[in-house]
Amino acid sequence: MPALPGMTKILLANIDKPDQASITKYRERGGYKALEKALAMEQTALIDEVKASGLRGRGGAGFPTGMKWSFVPRNTNKPTYLLCNADESEPGTFKDRILMERDPHILIEGMAIACYALNCHLSYIYIRGEYEFVANTQQKALDEAYEAKILGPSVMGKDFALDIFVHLGQGAYICGEETSLIESLEGNRGYPRIKPPFPATHGFLASPTVVNNVETLAALPWIVQNGAAAYAAIGTEKSKGTKLFSVSGHVAKPGVYEVDLGYPLLDFINNEAGGVANGRKLKAVIPGGSSVPVMTAAECEGVLLDYESLLKAGSMLGSGGMIVLDETTSMPETLSVIADFYAHESCGQCTPCREGTGWAAKILKNIIAGEGKPSDVDLLLKIADMMEGKTICPLADADVMPIRSFVTKFRSEFEALCKS
Amino acid sequence: MPKFTLNGQEIEAKAGQTIIQAAEDHGVEIPHYCYHPDLPIDGNCRMCLVDVEKMPKLTPACTTLVNEGMVVRSENERVKQAVRGVLEFLLINHPVDCPVCDQAGECRLQDYYMVYGLHTSEISLGMKVRKRKVIDLGPMVVLDQERCVLCSRCIRFFDHVTETGEMQFFGRGDHVAIGTFQDRPLDNPYSGNVVDICPVGALTSRDFRFKCRVWFLHATDSICGGCSTGCAVRIDHRDGAIFRMIPRRNPEVNRSWLCDEGRLSFHELNKTERISRPLMKGRDGVQAPVTWEEAVRSIDARLKEIRAANGAGSILGFASPSATNEGLFLFKRYVGDQLGATQFDFRVDSEDKNVLEEEDQILRHFDKHPNSIGAIKLGLMSKELGGIDGAIEAARAGQIKAGVVIYFPPLVRRPCDEEVEGRVFELIDVLEYSVVLAAHKSEWQTAASVVLPVTPWSEEEGTYTNFEGRVQFAGKAIDAGGDALAVWEAFAMLLHASGAESPWMSAEDVFATLTEHVPAYREVTLDKTRLPGVIVG
Repeated sequence: MPALPGMTKILLANIDKPDQASITKYRERGGYKALEKALAMEQTALIDEVKASGLRGRGGAGFPTGMKWSFVPRNTNKPTYLLCNADESEPGTFKDRILMERDPHILIEGMAIACYALNCHLSYIYIRGEYEFVANTQQKALDEAYEAKILGPSVMGKDFALDIFVHLGQGAYICGEETSLIESLEGNRGYPRIKPPFPATHGFLASPTVVNNVETLAALPWIVQNGAAAYAAIGTEKSKGTKLFSVSGHVAKPGVYEVDLGYPLLDFINNEAGGVANGRKLKAVIPGGSSVPVMTAAECEGVLLDYESLLKAGSMLGSGGMIVLDETTSMPETLSVIADFYAHESCGQCTPCREGTGWAAKILKNIIAGEGKPSDVDLLLKIADMMEGKTICPLADADVMPIRSFVTKFRSEFEALCKS
Repeated sequence: MPKFTLNGQEIEAKAGQTIIQAAEDHGVEIPHYCYHPDLPIDGNCRMCLVDVEKMPKLTPACTTLVNEGMVVRSENERVKQAVRGVLEFLLINHPVDCPVCDQAGECRLQDYYMVYGLHTSEISLGMKVRKRKVIDLGPMVVLDQERCVLCSRCIRFFDHVTETGEMQFFGRGDHVAIGTFQDRPLDNPYSGNVVDICPVGALTSRDFRFKCRVWFLHATDSICGGCSTGCAVRIDHRDGAIFRMIPRRNPEVNRSWLCDEGRLSFHELNKTERISRPLMKGRDGVQAPVTWEEAVRSIDARLKEIRAANGAGSILGFASPSATNEGLFLFKRYVGDQLGATQFDFRVDSEDKNVLEEEDQILRHFDKHPNSIGAIKLGLMSKELGGIDGAIEAARAGQIKAGVVIYFPPLVRRPCDEEVEGRVFELIDVLEYSVVLAAHKSEWQTAASVVLPVTPWSEEEGTYTNFEGRVQFAGKAIDAGGDALAVWEAFAMLLHASGAESPWMSAEDVFATLTEHVPAYREVTLDKTRLPGVIVG
C-alpha cells in the first residue's frame, strides 16, 4: 500500500516494513522523537502549531483540528479527555485499521502529543467491536509503550502522567458519532446527545472532551517533527496535507493509499488504483463512504480529491472510503444494500431517522424484488426530504445523500423495476 | 427577561426558558410528545421543530433557549411540512388500534393528526413493524409496545422522579421497544403516573381498562382526599360514578404526579354500604329511621339538657380531619359557640403522631387525612384532651357525657385502621349520648344515639388545608344519594334548630363567613383556593 510516487509518506511510511508494530523498530525509524520534541514545547504553542498546519479531521467531517482543540477551556477544575475515535464503520472505509494493525505506535505517539497539548492525563481508544483483533495489536503496542515509560506516571521522564486504555465497542455505527461514542464509553446506550452543550465543554463525564479520528491523530508526529509549514505546503489552499483513501469495488488494485490532497480523482482511479477492473467502463464513484452523494462517471471529470473540489462537484471527501462501480452495477440493488445498512444502524432515538431509514429500506427491497410501485420512486425522494435536517445527529442525512443521489442520477433504472 | 418575536408577536420570556415554555406561557401551543414540564428535556420526538431566523435548520423548541431578539416562527409552511412529516413517520408503524385502545379521545396522535396531518397513509399494513402487545406490567399498568412512539417520558419519569429506573429501551432502530427488564412488574408507589404522561396508548391503566370511553366522562377539579399532601386532581365521572382520578399539575404541591394509592382511593367510597337516612335510638334503645327535622330537634334539645345538668364542659366535639373546612367551621360554631363546649379533638391515631411526617421524598405523608391542619386552624385540638385515647378516658371518668362525632375512615388504607375504628367504637360506646355523622355504615354506629348521613370526599364541594397550610378548593363530582347532607348543611340545620342564625345557602357562603371569623384565613377569597391554592397564616 504505497504512497504515490512523488508524494509524501506521512501516515503509511512504515506500513510495509517488517515488524512495524514493535516499539524497537518504531524507535529505530525515528519514532517517539516527535513526542520528545512536543514535550519540550508550551502546550498552547503546540495547539497553535497544529492550527497552523491546517490539519482537518479525517473521520469524515473535516473540522479543523487545531480549532477543535482550542475550544477546550483550560481553566476549569475538571479533567480534560482525549478520545480516539476508532469506530471506523462508514461503509467503504478501512483505513484506520491499517494504521492500528501495522503501525500502532504512530497512533500512540499522535495521541500522546494531543494529550500533552490538551493537558489530558486519561485517554481512551474507542475501537469498534468487530475489530477485536485490531484492538489486541493496539493493546500490545500500548503495553510496550508503558514498559518503555512512554506512558504512565512520567511520560518520557517528564512531569506529565498519561494513561491510555483501549475500549471495545459492541458493533454500532452510531457510536462513531462523537456524543454517541461518549455515551457508550460512559456505559449508556449509544444515543447521540443534543448539542449544545458541545463535548469541548461537556463531554465525557460532563468534562471537556476532544474526540479525534485515528488518522487525524496519526498525522501529528510528522507535523511536530517537520513543522506546520511543511505540512501546510502539501495539498491545496484549504485542504492541507495527505489523506488516506481505502479503495474498493470494481478496481484492479483495491487497498489503502495515501494521497496528497488535491490530486485528480480520475487519475487516482485509473493510474494508482489500477483502473476499472476487467476492462469495463466506469459507471459511478462514491468518493468518501456511503454517506456522501454518488457521482456519475461524467461528474468525476476534472474533480480533485480535496474537501472543496468534491463539495463543489456535489459530493464530499468524507472518510475517504472510495467505492468504484462499473457498468454492470445495478444502482437500485446497490442503493438497497446501502439503505439496509442505515436502517440497521439507526439508533432509534429520534423519529425521522428511526422510521424513515426503515421505511426506505423496505421500499427498496420491494423495488429490487420487482414488487415496487411506480409511485415508490418519488416516495423515496419524499422520505429523504422528510428526514433531512430534522434529526439529532447526521445519520439520517447520511441515508438521505445516497437515496437522493442514486434515485435522481439513475432514475431510469429504478423506474424500470417499478413497472407494475 | 429576554424579549423575542413569536409568529410576528413580541413576547417576553422568563430567564432561562426554552422557546416551547415561553410559547406555552403566552398561549401558543407547539405540538410535542417527548417534552414534559416536570421531566428533563430530551428533544427526540422532533415534533416541536420551529423556524428560528439565522439558524439554517429547523430547531426543536424544547431544547432551544430564548435569546433576546430571536425571531421564531412555529406556523409557517416550512414548519408545517416538517411537523406533518414527523407525524407521518410516527404513524407508519403505529398499529391501527383506535377502536380498542383506551387512549382514544385523549391521544396525541389522533389530536395532532386532525390538526397537522390529515394525510393518506402511504405504507401498506404488511410493511408495518410488529411488536408485543398486552404486556402485564403489574397492578397499575398495561404495556403495548407497538403503540409506543418512543418519546422516553416513562423512562425519564422512573430515572429522575422515582429514581428507580424500571423502564428502558431495548433494541435498535425501528425495532426499539419500551419495556421493563424481563417484563418484571412495576411495583413502585408512583407507577400509575406513566399512564398519564404516555401520550399514546402504549401505557394504559389496568384499573380503567375498557371501562369507559373518555368522551363520556365529566371532569371535576378537586383535591385528593388520601393524605395531607393535598395533590391537585381531576375526578372523571359519569352518571354518579367515578371512573378514574388523574393528577392536575400544581407546581407548588404535586407537580404533575399522584401516588398510586391516592389515584385509586376513590374505590374506597364504594366498598361498604351507605347510611341512607338519619337513625335515632328510641326509648327501646333501637335505632330507627327519622327525618332530618326530627333528628336535629331532638339532638339540640338533648344536648342542651346534658349541658344544663353537667355543664358545657361535658360535651365533646370530635371532628374528622377528612371533613372540609366548611363542615368543620359550622361544627365548631354549633358545638362550640352555640352549645359552649370546650373539649375538641380530631386525632384518632396515637396522640404524639407527627401530622407533618413525610412517608417518602416524593409526595406522600403518613397522615392519611386531607384536612388535619384545617382542623387545627379551626381550633379543634385541645391540647389537654390528648386525642381519642384521652377522650375515651375522660368519658370513662364521667367528665364527658355527650359527644358529637364526625368520622370518615381514610380513603387510603393502612393495617392500623381496624384498630383505629375499634377506638372510635369504644368512644361511642362509653358516651352516654352520642351523635355520629358518617357516610358509610359500620357496626360501631349501632352504639350511637343518633346517626346522621353526611357526604364524604368528592360528594360535597369545599376546601381542605394541607400539611403546609395551603387551602385548596375541591369540587363536587357526584351526588351522595339517599338523605345524606354535606357536613356543613347538617350543622346549619342544627344551628337553625337551636335558634341561632343560619343564613348559609352554599359551601361558598360558609367559606366567606369562615374567612371573616378565622384570623388565619382573613385575606383569602374562594378564588384564591383554586390552583395552586394559597398558604394561610
